Amino acid sequence: MKRSLPFSIPLFLLGTMAVTAAGNPAQRDIRPAVRRETLDNGMRILMLVKPGVPRVVSHIYYRVGSINERPGITGLAHLHEHMMFKGTRTMGVTDFAEDDALNRKIDALMDQVYRERFWKTQGDLARADQLEREAAELMKEEKRYIVKDHLWETLMRNGGTGLNASTGNEVTGYYVTLPANKVELQMALEADRMQNAYYREFYSEKDVVMEERRLSENSPGALFEEQVNSVFYAASPYSWDVIGWMDDLRKVTRADLAEFHQRYYVPNNAVAVYVGDFDPDKLLALARKHFGSIPKGADVEPIRTGEPAQGCEKRVDGRGPAPTSVTLMFHTPPAGAQDVAALDLLGEILSGETGRLYKYLVKGRDLTARANARNEAMMYAGSFQVTASPKTQKGVTPEQLEAALWEELDRVKQTDVGEDELTRVKNRTEAMITRRLQQPAFLASMLGRSEIARGWDALFRDLDEMKRVTAADVRRVAGKYLVRDNVTVAVYHREMDK
Amino acid sequence: MTGKRTMEKYLLTWIFVLLAGLGTLGAQVRPDQLVFPTLRFTPPDPQAFQVSFAGGSHGYLMEDHSLPMVDLVAVIPYGTVCDPKDKAGLAQLLQLSLVKGGTSKRDGTALEERLDFLGATLGLRIDARTSTLSLSVLSKDLAEGLEIFFDLLRHPAFRPESIAIAKGRMIEELKRANDAPKPVLEREYARLLYGDHPLAWQPDRKTVDSLTATDLQRTVTRYFVPQGIVFAGAGDFRKAELVRLINQGLAGWQGSRPAPLALTATFSPVSPGVYFIQKKINQGYVNMGHLGIREDDPDYYAVMVMNFILGGGSFTSRITTKVRSDEGLAYNTGSKFTTSWGFPGLFAGYVQTKSSTVGYAISLIRQEFERIRNEPVSDGEMTTAINYFLESFPEQFTTPARTMTQFATFDALGRPLDYFKNYAAGIGKVDKARVQQVARKYIDPEKLAILVVGDWEGCNQASGKYPHPLEDFGTVHHLELTDPMNP
Repeated sequence: MKRSLPFSIPLFLLGTMAVTAAGNPAQRDIRPAVRRETLDNGMRILMLVKPGVPRVVSHIYYRVGSINERPGITGLAHLHEHMMFKGTRTMGVTDFAEDDALNRKIDALMDQVYRERFWKTQGDLARADQLEREAAELMKEEKRYIVKDHLWETLMRNGGTGLNASTGNEVTGYYVTLPANKVELQMALEADRMQNAYYREFYSEKDVVMEERRLSENSPGALFEEQVNSVFYAASPYSWDVIGWMDDLRKVTRADLAEFHQRYYVPNNAVAVYVGDFDPDKLLALARKHFGSIPKGADVEPIRTGEPAQGCEKRVDGRGPAPTSVTLMFHTPPAGAQDVAALDLLGEILSGETGRLYKYLVKGRDLTARANARNEAMMYAGSFQVTASPKTQKGVTPEQLEAALWEELDRVKQTDVGEDELTRVKNRTEAMITRRLQQPAFLASMLGRSEIARGWDALFRDLDEMKRVTAADVRRVAGKYLVRDNVTVAVYHREMDK
Repeated sequence: MTGKRTMEKYLLTWIFVLLAGLGTLGAQVRPDQLVFPTLRFTPPDPQAFQVSFAGGSHGYLMEDHSLPMVDLVAVIPYGTVCDPKDKAGLAQLLQLSLVKGGTSKRDGTALEERLDFLGATLGLRIDARTSTLSLSVLSKDLAEGLEIFFDLLRHPAFRPESIAIAKGRMIEELKRANDAPKPVLEREYARLLYGDHPLAWQPDRKTVDSLTATDLQRTVTRYFVPQGIVFAGAGDFRKAELVRLINQGLAGWQGSRPAPLALTATFSPVSPGVYFIQKKINQGYVNMGHLGIREDDPDYYAVMVMNFILGGGSFTSRITTKVRSDEGLAYNTGSKFTTSWGFPGLFAGYVQTKSSTVGYAISLIRQEFERIRNEPVSDGEMTTAINYFLESFPEQFTTPARTMTQFATFDALGRPLDYFKNYAAGIGKVDKARVQQVARKYIDPEKLAILVVGDWEGCNQASGKYPHPLEDFGTVHHLELTDPMNP
């Protein structure tokens, strides 16, 4: 149950597809033969038959993530994903009525605890501690009704691999790969937790998530990155991290979860994806049986707040135990918008071991050991990031490196990139996506996430789009977006604290 | 046998036996009570894919025409443990500079730009005992890709600029080697248990500074020889054509097989107790254990099953259930046996938890070590573990490239290839008595080295709710965190 996107690299690729302009395409169409069906309740089923090993990658994706939160419930999408593994009204419990009665008492006590601790400025903390101890006693009592990690154990016992879930800014996914004869198990379990979610052992799981947050706090530079991101986005809900603020994690309630679930965990907000060795007609019949009877939910409104034009330069300066670095971040359009393909290619032209930053800053001027750039187009916003670490042992300062990065950006604004450079990155990205299609789990992830955002074949439409990008386009988008009034400059200085 | 027939045979071994009606009892059935038709699986037979090449080398090839790509891999019998102590980091330098250094007829930039233009990737990865040079290329560019692949394998040039850049990157890495707690924990745990041994030697500023192009050339001359290399290929090719191209790449290549690696397999015992490394963070990172087993040990299957129940089977395992799910103490916790072919791996119970609960979490993990030694595991635990290992086994063969590379790696390490055929029987033979037997044999709570990276003051405090200061677990040794830049 990871918070961070295990698919962050593939996601990046989704935005950086390319097809060659001149004569180096793959030998044949790589578009997979996906069958897409929509059930009466709006749930979508994607199926891709890949004969071979008798296993089926079985994923379900919901169009929900941290951007659907608001101040006060940040981190809820991710905490909810954890709670989806803690049993339902049918799974993970021996006597639901008894268990539910206990949970009502626990919630009533914890409601009092929260009121004393969090609602009042001068709450009775001793009373809160006493009530929490009473609740802890009831939690112990509840254990006799709990079947531990029932869903997880059931999937493992049946040969489930790749068992995981992840929550991102926009999408939450639940994953398992099963023997080809047991795909129905995934359907039954997913349908059950969509309809019968219960959030058992909520309070101890909150502690687990807070530990997860501490783990990321101990990753050098992570707290700085969290702050930079919150500066970069003034208004958009991308401004907080998926893990959420610690204060919100402390105060979130079971009632918050139930409300969140009811709004977003509905069939019309879900896509199930199957890739592997199966008979699609039979699989579809099973999907209808398990998912088809779930009532459709209310329509989910898209995110309201777009990121306003910045109109000024922003700078963030930090110190801590990570390497000294300089990052430039620019706002760019969301996925599917005009200019995205050209920006993606520009990122590729600057990056990598044959890219311009390597050629001029690593090899040429010896200012840095590594430098990277990339455009990331998301559902509602985009960003173009350039980052490098100065060679401090050679006396290079962040200021010198920043100036050199701007020089490279100015160079692409002033002169067209070479046709050879453009062709090379187009070929590279197309081949990279073809390579990724070899992996069934990646394929499922790519199809599901793409379907959630703009239709599963958006990926291949983007490929066509990229085919049309010219050197003039690249120069134009560099001049339009990579400007001072659109930048957040983040400078981090290494400073060790024993 | 032609490749096509091989592929058919491979596919025909999936036999489905359908038991009518059992899967469709209706949605009222609780999900875990669903009954499924039987599925039988026969793993692919490495022999069926084996091919001999000119000059005494061989490999494993499988055609797969689903995408216009070809993967080709050379598994080379050279790994990090082959480097002498005063040249620690040589393998890493080779990995970073092989492609960038180019070949005698192409400089590194030209090589990388050509690969990029073809949309191909070519890279070297070095593990403890093997190196893998991997090419991925569109099938229409196969001939050119192979020409580059063999040119690099046979005539690498290690130009000075590429070495300077690679060493610069290694120095950057050394500078940040102590930044994050997890790499410090893993590195120091290996050092603690293996001691002064190639398995634990680490590069530092001095060893990196000493590395030269001559060191790289000498390594390549010694280990990159056709007789020692095992190839693997999968993708959109005709087998006969690929064999022809590989033979062409190998033509005229001479060399003598390197002597087999002789590693000391004895390690000095570590005195039990707590080993503490100070780092100002808000959690303690813990590994607690001792040396584990070798993968060629007859107890291997029983240990895998035992560890699954103890702490390797994620949420179905005892340590995860207790420490994470019941107590909410950690996001990451469990146990692991790292196994490697030819030398003993490490055993560790592990947890990362906030400073104030470090001692308590250690006590819970130790209780689970005791419990699995002292009581037989339950029937339910056995069923889950055995079923998991049997039913998930086919996952290893999901992509042809992975299957062929796995065969080649086994072969290069000298691991018997009948492993795949015997796997199901090996797992099936493990019973409750064997699990308890290997728990007693391979877990010794009296000999635990408990390594903690964290803030001493926070980690050593205990409370009524979370008892056990670290001092409860034996002598505390405070270890100095060595700075690899200035050792």
